[in-house]
Amino acid sequence: MKVCRRSFLSLIIGGAAGTVLSPLPLKLMDDSSIWSQAWPWTPVPEDGEVSHVGSICTLCPGGCGITVRKVNDRAIKIEGMKGHPVNNGGICVLGLSGLQLLYGPTRVKTPLKRVGARGEGRWEKISWDEAIAEVVKKLGELREKGKSHTVACISGTDRGTVAQLLGRFLTVYGSPNFIRIPSIQDSYELTMHLMQGVQASAGFDVENADFVLSFGSGLIEGWGSPVRMIKANSKWKERGKVVQIESRLSNTAAKADKWVPINPGTEAALALAIANVIIQKSLYNADFVKNYSSGFEEFKQMVLNEFSPDDVSGITGVSASTIESLAKGFAGSSKPLAVCGRGHGETPGSLNEFMAVHALNALVGNIGKKGGVWTVPDPDYIKWPEVEMDRTAANGMHKARIDGAGSKRYPDTRYLLDRLPNAINSGKEYPVEALFVAGANPVYTIPDSKAVKEAFNKVPFVVSFSSYMDETAVNSDLILPNHVFLERYEDVPTPVGLQKPIIGLSKPVVKPQFNTKHLGDVILLMAKSFGGQIAKAFPWDSYEVCLKETLGNKWDKLINDGFWADSNFRPVVWGGAFNTPSKKFEFVNKGKAESIKIEGDEKAYPLILMPYDSMRLASGFIGDPPFVIKTVEDTVLKGKEIVVEVNPRSARGFREGDQAILSTPKGIVKVRVHHFNGIMPGLVALPRGLGHTAYDEYLADKGINFNELIGPVEDPVSGLNAAWGIRAKLTRA
Amino acid sequence: MKEQHKNTKAKKYGMVIDLDKCTGCGACMAACMAENNVPFKKDESNKLDSITWMRVYSLTNGKKFPEADICYIPRPCMHCEAHNGHAPCVSVCPAVATDYNHETGIVSQIYTRCFGCRYCMAACPYHARYFNWWDPVWPDGMEKYLSPNVSPRMRGVVEKCSFCFHRHQLAMNKAYVEGRRELEEDEYQTSCTQACPAGAIVFGDLNNPGHAVNQIAKPDHKHGGRPMNPHAFRLLERLGTNPKVYYLSSREWVRRAGDNYIKDEGKQGNH
Amino acid sequence: MSTLDDKSEETVEQVETTKSPEKEQKNRACGIILIFFVIGLVGSLAVGWLIFPKLLYSQKKQPVDFNHVVHAAAVEDGCESCHYFREDGSFSGVPKLAQCVGCHEEAQGENPEELKFVEEYVTKGNEVPWLVYSRQPDCVFFSHASHIKMGKVDCVTCHGHIGESTHSRVYEENRLTGYSRDIWGKNLAGLKKNTWDRMKMDDCAECHAELKAKGETVTTLPWPINWMPRPYEKPASSQVRVNIQKDACFVCHK
Repeated sequence: MKVCRRSFLSLIIGGAAGTVLSPLPLKLMDDSSIWSQAWPWTPVPEDGEVSHVGSICTLCPGGCGITVRKVNDRAIKIEGMKGHPVNNGGICVLGLSGLQLLYGPTRVKTPLKRVGARGEGRWEKISWDEAIAEVVKKLGELREKGKSHTVACISGTDRGTVAQLLGRFLTVYGSPNFIRIPSIQDSYELTMHLMQGVQASAGFDVENADFVLSFGSGLIEGWGSPVRMIKANSKWKERGKVVQIESRLSNTAAKADKWVPINPGTEAALALAIANVIIQKSLYNADFVKNYSSGFEEFKQMVLNEFSPDDVSGITGVSASTIESLAKGFAGSSKPLAVCGRGHGETPGSLNEFMAVHALNALVGNIGKKGGVWTVPDPDYIKWPEVEMDRTAANGMHKARIDGAGSKRYPDTRYLLDRLPNAINSGKEYPVEALFVAGANPVYTIPDSKAVKEAFNKVPFVVSFSSYMDETAVNSDLILPNHVFLERYEDVPTPVGLQKPIIGLSKPVVKPQFNTKHLGDVILLMAKSFGGQIAKAFPWDSYEVCLKETLGNKWDKLINDGFWADSNFRPVVWGGAFNTPSKKFEFVNKGKAESIKIEGDEKAYPLILMPYDSMRLASGFIGDPPFVIKTVEDTVLKGKEIVVEVNPRSARGFREGDQAILSTPKGIVKVRVHHFNGIMPGLVALPRGLGHTAYDEYLADKGINFNELIGPVEDPVSGLNAAWGIRAKLTRA
Repeated sequence: MKEQHKNTKAKKYGMVIDLDKCTGCGACMAACMAENNVPFKKDESNKLDSITWMRVYSLTNGKKFPEADICYIPRPCMHCEAHNGHAPCVSVCPAVATDYNHETGIVSQIYTRCFGCRYCMAACPYHARYFNWWDPVWPDGMEKYLSPNVSPRMRGVVEKCSFCFHRHQLAMNKAYVEGRRELEEDEYQTSCTQACPAGAIVFGDLNNPGHAVNQIAKPDHKHGGRPMNPHAFRLLERLGTNPKVYYLSSREWVRRAGDNYIKDEGKQGNH
Repeated sequence: MSTLDDKSEETVEQVETTKSPEKEQKNRACGIILIFFVIGLVGSLAVGWLIFPKLLYSQKKQPVDFNHVVHAAAVEDGCESCHYFREDGSFSGVPKLAQCVGCHEEAQGENPEELKFVEEYVTKGNEVPWLVYSRQPDCVFFSHASHIKMGKVDCVTCHGHIGESTHSRVYEENRLTGYSRDIWGKNLAGLKKNTWDRMKMDDCAECHAELKAKGETVTTLPWPINWMPRPYEKPASSQVRVNIQKDACFVCHK
């Protein structure tokens, strides 16, 4: 028998015939195509039971209610809570991306202790017991040496049980240095205090206003409670008028009924010129002015003498006829409202400006009226027993605050964080030996980043409670990570700018994903460790117990609805609203009404650099999650380079897209140039919110931090940062 | 489906976006990305390969300071009907991965059929289609927030706005369990509509005179769906794509910006 | 003349005798070719029909051997007691641990499978990783509500007589695709005797496809398997109703 080529061929042919008659080729083809459609690295999200949990978003002071959709244990979508008094179903781009913060790589997953030099990014994982013990040890040492006052705490807010627990701890420990991060809230509180004699926030009845005169406020760009303001804007579109006074065509200016371009920094003068016209033409509310105000005569004299429309038009660049028509429009409306505080409202601003604008509100008598400015009393639901201080604590509390707030120079201001770096660096005050940071990212947000870093380096012990690896956490010695807002119970009192007091309840939507601990619980554990008077001031076993007790009979409504609103709240009528020495609204005139001078010599720096804020760039204590940074246009960020806006007329040879060097007295950076017809010639605009160096690769190293290019300018009366810009120049790259 | 439901008229799901109210905040973009498992990269500044089913464009009136003006336009997929469902992208797909549904007016996109030739991307005049050049990467636990209602795509396929059709599927589920076949206006709303803080986006059935979209835009179905509301316009109206997204603007320059005109060509392009 | 004749006869004979061995060889060679052909044919048929499925499918057991008959007898609403519709219209699918714990907080009997269930899963709080025979790919959106509530389709039509089983049958997992053998069908040629024997897109389309003959639907099964006569009845309710045209992809896909 010969096995030859033919047999081999016939074997093959037979095999082929059999294969074709078998299901193998078809099945294999079908299966291979399915296999190629299902690579193991393409996730297949698990299905399951859908449930909804209501909570509050705390990524900004807006306090929107949220409804989180879950599938089994996973949170899959954050949506606005329908029926919530702040946002009624709406939600912003940052709130929508909250899950990326909950589940993402920026999370600090366990307590960390620094290894190596600060900022190197090397950490040792430690247990909660060790972490708290270390903090208590350091604090105990300082206390024994009589240095309890050298401990400072920077907090995002001073309201709500957690902030109050922090403040209470500092008090009973013996330090006066509880410092809230700065914002226009500082200026508005001071304005309320000086002109109305009340310790309260300014609330704005925006939903009912029919003529909104805005001095640079980013009404639809994140000022106040962002979603609420955008909703109000839609109402104004239907019945109302918005006038935006701003040097740049922001979104607010573009959507406004009238945009009034103004020379930057001259807003106070414009406000007083409008007051001039209102007074001259007797358009003011005579009843209010005559019967419920004091100091009107001096105010009238100053305004008529120094702020005529013709005088002011030269300074501001706004024509006298425009000023007159603004005054007539404003005072002639039934529900006018004037607001100020630039952009998001993160810089406190010039007190004169705030008082001038508030004076306009007083002139038209909208204080406490529909569509006007309401005084919203500080929340009073936290009724804890007074702390009993021991001697160390009492001694410490008697020392002057490190930031100069409440001092002879700035007697009425409560917090002055922007002065802290200088206070530490100058060495003129006592040194800060320990610094705690909660709900804030001061290394990124305080102006003059160089001075801030220097100050941080001088503080030997820095503790961050951040849930994320932000710039402050990177530069600290210990990180005791708090739960993310979606993992914790917390009360969220009245959001900024809301005209009625409400309390929101943030609820845990998912179990804590990592080894984090509620800041409230950490404070209680620290206090217990200390024992003595300190422990006595905190009689609760856990934060949840403390919260439930504090909220008392409001708890059930809060759990069911997510918020509690005082349905009986009405703004106080004029007769009883003012607690000034005269018991009337005071047209205060503190110091000369000068505009704030910005840093820099005009010859060396012929341009003016101003920041601008946007909904798509979070510039507070949270940095943009990946979804939000994705929405940033390529005329703002190109690759890793930040883009500045320059009017083509002052672009001086820089073509669209060219690289340039931007220098200010505080810093030098490389940028790209974008020609924008919406910005006044002579100005350069740079967005806030970029230039992060921490967080994760989706955000870090993109663009420039505006705070590297500017330093604080102290308001002469309040001490608050009133810098609205800084002189700059653009040179070839 | 067509012959059976003789009592129920075919629907035409569409949108009206009020550009006066739109603030350019970008919430619609994020809502869409969160709802539909849209991937993200480390660098999204190259807008040619950045996947945003809903994209907010910014238009300017081209004037100098201080007459400059901006308007923001959110642009989802237009779900073009064109002539009898021959949307540009549908007409060119070699794999029938995309098709126009006459029952709902929605252009579907089936990722498992698409093999990534990108012909549809070339055909779409609105640049509403996006290609997955890379496999999506959800870093470090972020895949936990993915929704089971929308398939995550692999590289090599085209994706686009689906008018959140998965929400229609889920709403129909609920309707069936309750024994009915019709949906109320608020039972099926897209994610962008729901999120918009300004309430600028309205979504519903353009065929249904009781729905807000019909009442606002007043589409003239006898003339290719042109809006009869003088403030309403559609993008690139004159291409004849019969898109389902109508825009409102009280500013004439914005309405004119919605289409291409030769210099001094007749005003009011939608009449 | 005789010698010459004798000689030529001899040569003729010689030639004849020398021819036959070759012929024989040729015959034998033909035979070998045929044999090899048959070997090849039979071999590949065997590989295709017998060995291939053995290689392709792995035999897996359910983590707990579940007895449907015992449980169906213990509940009142039949399949829907444990496989129910939620208020939002979604289908609960395979029950979660919480449902089982209602009765099985502790072992109810002596069955070793139940003991294993209680020890490994109930006390530790772990969900049982059931292997789902009817699992479809991620691109599929199947609405139980439309089929059961509106189409009045019986559970058995698609799932077979699983409710009458006393043991969990073996889960044959396709090593290439990861799906159960139930999807393509036990019969490797894709031929089926019952409606539940196969659950690929064409099987769904059978009920929906009155327009199939006109070529207006999208199918994946090629001719001629498409057109083979079916040994089972299509459910009566389905014949009244739905046409899926080729433009309605989004109804079943996501």
